[in-house]
Amino acid sequence: MILRTPPPKRLKSDAGGSPISANASGSGNQLVIYEDSPLPAPVPLQTSDDHSDQHLCTYQCRQMVKADLLDAFSKAEKQVQEYQTKLQTLNANFSEADAERKQLRDKFLYSEQELAAAKGREKMLQEQLLMEINNSQERYTKALQSCHELEVKHQNEMNLRKKAESSAATAEEKAKLLEDKLTQLSGSVDREKKRLNNDIAQLGKEAKLSVSRIGADLERMQCRAQNAETESNLLRSQLEQLKLKFDECLHEKTEVDKKLSSFTSQTASSSDNSVLVKHLQEEVKRYEAEVREARKLKSRHVDIELLKVKLLEETSRRERAESGLAELQDLQLSMEKLNSELSSWKSLLNDIPGVSCPDDIVMKFSALQNEVVQSSMKIGEASTRFKQLEVALEAAQLGRQNAETEAASAKEKSEALKTDVKRIEVMLSLVTEEKEQLKAVVNELRKSDSEGSVPGATDGTLIQGFESSLAKKENYLKDLEKDLSELKDVNNRLRSEMELLNEKLVDQARRNKSLERDSDRLRSEISLLESKLGHGDFSAANTRVLRMVNTLGVEDEAKQTIEALQAELQKAKERLQAVEELKNQSGDAGKLVDSHITGKIAQLKEQIATLEKREERYKTVFADRISVFRRACCELFGYKIVMDEHQRPNGIPVTRFTLQSIYAQSDDEKLEFEYESGNTSILNNGYASQGEIAKQIEIFIRKFNSIPAFTANLTMESFNRRTLY
Amino acid sequence: MASKTAAAKDIITLHGSAAIVSEFFCTILYNRAVYPEESFVKVKKYGLPMLLIEDESVKSFMSNLTSQISEWLEAGKLQRVVLVIMSKATGEVLERWNFRIETDDEVVEKGVSREKCDKEIMREIQAIMRQVASSVTYLPCLDETCVFDVLAYTDTDVAVPFTWVESDPKLIANPQMVKLHGFDTKIHKVDTLVSYKNDEWDEEE
Repeated sequence: MILRTPPPKRLKSDAGGSPISANASGSGNQLVIYEDSPLPAPVPLQTSDDHSDQHLCTYQCRQMVKADLLDAFSKAEKQVQEYQTKLQTLNANFSEADAERKQLRDKFLYSEQELAAAKGREKMLQEQLLMEINNSQERYTKALQSCHELEVKHQNEMNLRKKAESSAATAEEKAKLLEDKLTQLSGSVDREKKRLNNDIAQLGKEAKLSVSRIGADLERMQCRAQNAETESNLLRSQLEQLKLKFDECLHEKTEVDKKLSSFTSQTASSSDNSVLVKHLQEEVKRYEAEVREARKLKSRHVDIELLKVKLLEETSRRERAESGLAELQDLQLSMEKLNSELSSWKSLLNDIPGVSCPDDIVMKFSALQNEVVQSSMKIGEASTRFKQLEVALEAAQLGRQNAETEAASAKEKSEALKTDVKRIEVMLSLVTEEKEQLKAVVNELRKSDSEGSVPGATDGTLIQGFESSLAKKENYLKDLEKDLSELKDVNNRLRSEMELLNEKLVDQARRNKSLERDSDRLRSEISLLESKLGHGDFSAANTRVLRMVNTLGVEDEAKQTIEALQAELQKAKERLQAVEELKNQSGDAGKLVDSHITGKIAQLKEQIATLEKREERYKTVFADRISVFRRACCELFGYKIVMDEHQRPNGIPVTRFTLQSIYAQSDDEKLEFEYESGNTSILNNGYASQGEIAKQIEIFIRKFNSIPAFTANLTMESFNRRTLY
Repeated sequence: MASKTAAAKDIITLHGSAAIVSEFFCTILYNRAVYPEESFVKVKKYGLPMLLIEDESVKSFMSNLTSQISEWLEAGKLQRVVLVIMSKATGEVLERWNFRIETDDEVVEKGVSREKCDKEIMREIQAIMRQVASSVTYLPCLDETCVFDVLAYTDTDVAVPFTWVESDPKLIANPQMVKLHGFDTKIHKVDTLVSYKNDEWDEEE
């Protein structure tokens, strides 16, 4: 039971109105519940005034209280239920919590166990870690040490690298320098090579010249040597003659001495002396004549021998040359024969169409071809022989020239011999002078004999004269011996030179043979290559093979199909006519044929239609493709291109291209080009003759021969004009 | 008479040599029966009855060929012209008529004129024509339908014209070769050679 304090009691005067309103408007607002058996109110709570007011509760008030109470009770019941449900839920929660607690406890215990295990493991791990740390520390220290070492090494390496780089740089510089030097050297080497090649070529030429010169020299020297030998022989003979003379002179002298001695002893016998002198003079004269004749004979004999030898040589050469010429003539005759044979074969070839059997002709032709090949080979051989003979002829001519030179040298020799003869004549004159002197001496002796005075002085002068002449002769003899020895030396030298030249000649002959072999090889190669060339081989470096596009076959086919179709059409027409005629004659039979023909006509029409369609399709496809191509060209190169075919006054077809830039500012800006068999040339029109354009044409087309560069430049300029200004 | 001398004079020009070569081609095409006899017309030229083709397409082909060859000859860029006769069905090369042309460089570069007796040139051309005509006797018979092609061996610096394409030389393996007469106009020296396919029965023999 809830107790409430009643509202404070109002005064009775004031309670005129309704108790509800008074209660309502009362300031106390306290509600008091009155029970049937009211309990004594707690005294300490109420004053005396309030106790009176508590009994004024109305039914309504009770009802209200009751209702309130009921409400409160229901509320409390509800609350109790709520609390009970809450309790149940709390209990459930609690049981759940308990279970959870148990679980958690288990978990806790488990985790504690795990913790213990983990601690154990941790300890183990810590120990391990410690160990590892120790190890790693050791390693770290080692690594640090090695790192330091490596750093040191690195620094060293860095230093080394720097050094190496610097050395590399220096080396590169050196290399560059060396390269420059190398290029210079290579240039110089090339130049030197060229120079050396030129020198070699020059030296080769010179060598050839010198070889020929040496050959000529050799021959000349041979001639000279021969001349010298003959001269030496001559001189020997002269020497022998002179010795003989000298002996004679000595003999004469001794005789004269004897005579003088006898003369001195027998001065009286003057008549005998004169006789003796006369005799002596006669003897001297005779001897002189004999000596002259002997000399002349000897010299002539020697000359004759020499000339005979030369004549023999020349005759042998001439014979060789003549035999060569005879061979040449024979070869020419054989060549003529071959030519005549060839001409006869050719005439036969022309005559052959008259032969009846074609197999024979083929056989004949193959045989003829073989013969022609053989004859051509023979011609080749003959030409080689001819060349060889020409070479031989040249050699013979050279021999003849040599012989001429020899003859010239012989002439020279003869002149030398003449001079010798003159010299001998001079000697003779000297001898005659001596003779005269001797005569004079004899005369003086005679005079002295006749006078018979101072014989001793004259004898002395005579003896002196003889001695001086003797000394002169001795000197002369010595001079001659010296000349002889010099000539011998010269002769030896010439011989050694001759040997050397002979060796060279042999070398040259060998070389000539090897060159001949080379030339033969090259000839065979040339013939092989010529046959290849005739076959149609070519070198791709120099030659390009072009084929004229030939649509004649295709056109021919088309023509043939057209002709066939026309023929068919003609036939069909004829048939139609025939059928119409038949139709007129017999109605039913005509109908069948008519249907057949109409079917065929329809078929042909279909064919024509399909062909026309195909043509149309080709045309449209071509037009499409060409328009695409044109547009692409226009887009890619910036020019609209119009192509026209023209004909020049001389009838040669020319293609004209008109180009208009897509950036052109007026319709007059057009370039015109003419294309003719691979060459494109710009035409001069109003636009092209404008100052700037003409300048560009001059630079790009005329000077650098590049139309694309010109058009590209023009495109750029027009583009700039259109966009920038 | 005047026309005859003019024709003779025409031979000794650069253009004249090209015309002669194309006339040779016509003669060969007739003699080898590449085109039927009806498509040729007889004309008297070089003192000989010549056969010139009447077929318009071949005529235009020949005129184009002549103009191009004369252009190359004027530039001195042509080394040889070859007429190739092939089987139409298989495309196998059966005959190669080879005209090797040696141009006098002095004439091309300096325009020097050379004189040669017209009669001699005529005689040489007549000899070739006769030889071409008589070659029918020994050349193998062309049993199948044939087509022809023209090859030109030019210098490498020549621009390829529109109507020409680069080609292989169309050689015959192991051919028989017969050298024909040549002619010399003092401007051009033309050597003629025909090579043809070796008959198998020939080889067996």
